Amino acid sequence: MATTNASINIRSNITSNPITISKTMTMKKFQSSIGLEETSGLRFKKFAAVTETVVIEQDEFTSTKGCKVYMRNTGTNPAEFFYVAKHASAAASDTDGETIGKLYAGDWMLIPYLADVNITVAPSTTNNMTLEYMVFAE
Amino acid sequence: MATTTATVGITSADLTPGMSLGISATTTLYQTGTTTGLELVDIGAGKLTQASGADALHEALGTADTTNWVYICNNSTNVEQYMKIGIHETIIGNLGSGEWLWMPWNMGDGDAEINIEAEASGEIPYEYAIFKSTYTLPAKT
Repeated sequence: MATTNASINIRSNITSNPITISKTMTMKKFQSSIGLEETSGLRFKKFAAVTETVVIEQDEFTSTKGCKVYMRNTGTNPAEFFYVAKHASAAASDTDGETIGKLYAGDWMLIPYLADVNITVAPSTTNNMTLEYMVFAE
Repeated sequence: MATTTATVGITSADLTPGMSLGISATTTLYQTGTTTGLELVDIGAGKLTQASGADALHEALGTADTTNWVYICNNSTNVEQYMKIGIHETIIGNLGSGEWLWMPWNMGDGDAEINIEAEASGEIPYEYAIFKSTYTLPAKT
């Protein structure tokens, strides 16, 4: 059994009393105390077009319920972003699937992933952009 | 200007044999496409039961297609209990006991609410924080 830990630390002074959130989790199989044992490996993909691209295919994984996805926009331009969607397309708003959100320069996300639909990204520009991502699976 | 940072660390000594894993990243949360920090936040905690079905944790009442961030943690210690996390009709994933998520949310349209649903019996304690670019309070009844 593999052990994969993930920690998050959020610090903010939006409120008059500073906000501090600090959590650590061990990534486990669905409804289990056994750790996740498969991974896509850490991937880097370069983009130079605004075309929607599937970066994670649902059928890569046999067990769909306990997956996690990490992504990061490695860029430094604050105006450039990736749309991330759980659908074959990615845009501001989708009617058939769902755009999750936008990853601007340096932004990262770590989400649970029910692997029933592909994950798609769409760069905001034709400038070179790089996405770093990794799937953790059962 | 407010400053909010989010840092992640992912480590494993044995997920990939012969190669330890170490990911570390920090980001500062900015308003949409700028270098001005986010200035709106909702923080809370609650308990969720299976009987309540899917509930809206936060409505998409801000400006559409903006930068917003969602933190949710399932604080249950029972491995049978998990939370379904969705945006409108799409389930993003299952958040197991003790697990958290950090997710961008662009409020793609007025229907793109964040919803949560408990599975398995009993109460699931959870906590959340939502950092936003814009937001309009719901009208009074």
